[in-house]
Amino acid sequence: MKLFRVIMGIAVFGFLVLTGCSPSIQKTPLSNTYTDDIGRTVQITGIPQRIISLSPSNTEMVYALGLQDRLVGVTSYDDYPLDAKNKPIVSDYSTVDLEKIVAAKPDLVLADSIQKNDTIPALEKLGITVYTMSPDNMDGILSEIKVIGQITGKTQEADKLVSNLMGRIKAVNDKTAKFTDSQKPRVLFVTWYDPIWTAGNDTMIQYLIDTAGGVNIAVDLKGYTTITLESAIQRNPQVIIVMSSMGDNHTSLNYINSNDQFKATDAVKNGQVYEIDADIFGRTTPRIVDGLETLAKLFHPELFK
Amino acid sequence: MKNQQSDKKSVKESNGSGIQKNALESSLYSSHRLLLIISVIGLLAACTIIALLALTVGSVAIPFKTVWQVLISHLPFVHLQSNWSSTTDMIITGIRLPRILLAGAVGTALSTAGATYQGLFRNPLADPYLIGVAQGAALGAVAGFVLPWTFGGNYLIPIMAFAGAVIAVTIVYLIARVGKTLPMTTLILAGVAIGSLMMSVTAYLTMISADKVQGILSWLMGNFANSNWDQLKIISPYIVVGVAVIFIFARPLNVMQLDEEQAQQLGINVERTKIILLAAATLITAVAVCFVGTIGFVGIIVPHIVRLIWGPDHRLLLPLSAITGAILLILADTASRTLMSPSEIPVGVITAFIGAPFFLFLLRRTKKAVF
Repeated sequence: MKLFRVIMGIAVFGFLVLTGCSPSIQKTPLSNTYTDDIGRTVQITGIPQRIISLSPSNTEMVYALGLQDRLVGVTSYDDYPLDAKNKPIVSDYSTVDLEKIVAAKPDLVLADSIQKNDTIPALEKLGITVYTMSPDNMDGILSEIKVIGQITGKTQEADKLVSNLMGRIKAVNDKTAKFTDSQKPRVLFVTWYDPIWTAGNDTMIQYLIDTAGGVNIAVDLKGYTTITLESAIQRNPQVIIVMSSMGDNHTSLNYINSNDQFKATDAVKNGQVYEIDADIFGRTTPRIVDGLETLAKLFHPELFK
Repeated sequence: MKNQQSDKKSVKESNGSGIQKNALESSLYSSHRLLLIISVIGLLAACTIIALLALTVGSVAIPFKTVWQVLISHLPFVHLQSNWSSTTDMIITGIRLPRILLAGAVGTALSTAGATYQGLFRNPLADPYLIGVAQGAALGAVAGFVLPWTFGGNYLIPIMAFAGAVIAVTIVYLIARVGKTLPMTTLILAGVAIGSLMMSVTAYLTMISADKVQGILSWLMGNFANSNWDQLKIISPYIVVGVAVIFIFARPLNVMQLDEEQAQQLGINVERTKIILLAAATLITAVAVCFVGTIGFVGIIVPHIVRLIWGPDHRLLLPLSAITGAILLILADTASRTLMSPSEIPVGVITAFIGAPFFLFLLRRTKKAVF
């Protein structure tokens, strides 16, 4: 063992001399290997102290674990919590400013899976540690919280957050589980109105509608997709949930409410058309549980007060 | 002397053949007229049958008989015992019928405009979007999506698209005008340049508004998903007037196929005709795209199909393109709303998918020069 250390020591020393560094770092920090959401193996040495987030969801996650003081770069779309707007911007949603990222000297960049073909390889080439985080369901969010907690040395906070979220999900589920399908409202979820885009099976929205005690009328469709106007109306939704979009002045909501064709649905007849915040329902963050509670209240106002 | 005689003889001969040619032409005209009437009636009948059949299919299965009963019950003075729900009635008369009529109107506008542009530019590659209509409309629409404007409510996008199209073509026209004339080559070049400029701005605006990409892409690919009677009421007067104006100019357009100078000598006010035809074709194109987005292929393919079957005479080409365009777009839209039902396929994808192979089939079958 001693011999091994000596050899390693010589090897490390030799390496540092060869690469021109002075051998001033002496402690060998803890190193762990993780597999991220796009299947990359990420080795993280030590506890990251300078974190950059490349998506609004990741930024929310960082704040949820109380890591904001370590956050040294965000995207221009990050708006929650409000404090994120005070952080240095290193990227907008589609183009990442590599120079700014390098200048911020991060020891961990939290990327999004949409960046896997351009930004992530570029950052890897620059020798920057990148962990990709794009959960697409509730279990994914919960396990991601734990992983980030582990990486950043916030395991206790992560466990606390996860058990809190699981408790709130269970509270909703306990109340809605007793309903049969005919006792649940038929729900149309609209992410855009022209043509009507909705959320089918295998989506976070489907999970939320189901858990909140509703029946998604587009459950036979897969993923986010369009639905013909006549099918949407034929399936006669009792509740229509419309996703707001940034600065779009409730166009989708106004369309559903003012359109003659939708007047044939129970939802419009009974005034059950609601707009919800796209940032809560479109991002996969701990806030999605707020969204779950919002939906449950809309579907079963008598149970959730 | 001998020479003179033979000269005279040859003059006589050529005179004779001239008369013969005139007689031939006039008989061609009358046979053309008959052909026109028969073809128009035949195509209109086909169009009506296709439209009525399209009414009976959709993502919601409604029995054939019920569809007819619902339709008949809406005729004046007819009172039928209704054994169908109000939803069924809404689907047939409130969703499918305006959608089919809108598809027909847009198909008519795009094909007529395409045939007009191809004739004006004497270029088989001309389509309704050649001189910046589509790019202008797209920029207007995308600006409507991205900018925080609120006027017009749900009409914001159509208003912006229409304004964008008209402004784009006006700029192109002003740039291309040389003195009092409008050289067609300059017009195409100016159209291409302004078009690319607008495309780049559109692309940038799309890129920076990630949360609206869904709506923007749907508009750019074109769809009839949200058709309703109000849209039809707004656009059809423009299309009727624009198409009628173009039909009136079918003969001058024929003559202009020779050469602009020759046409001028034959008594046609070439510059005025060009401007009227450009304005009419631009107007109907702008109106066609403003609600349903930029649907490709119809405007370029349909006139070629008609030319391959009925020949290049604009008096046949224009009206027959108008009806064929309606048929093609009604078919394409029916496919778009039924193939993947209850989801939709953008109609632009379908028009390319059925339009291109059919055109190639015709091209190979006739094996003659098209233009």
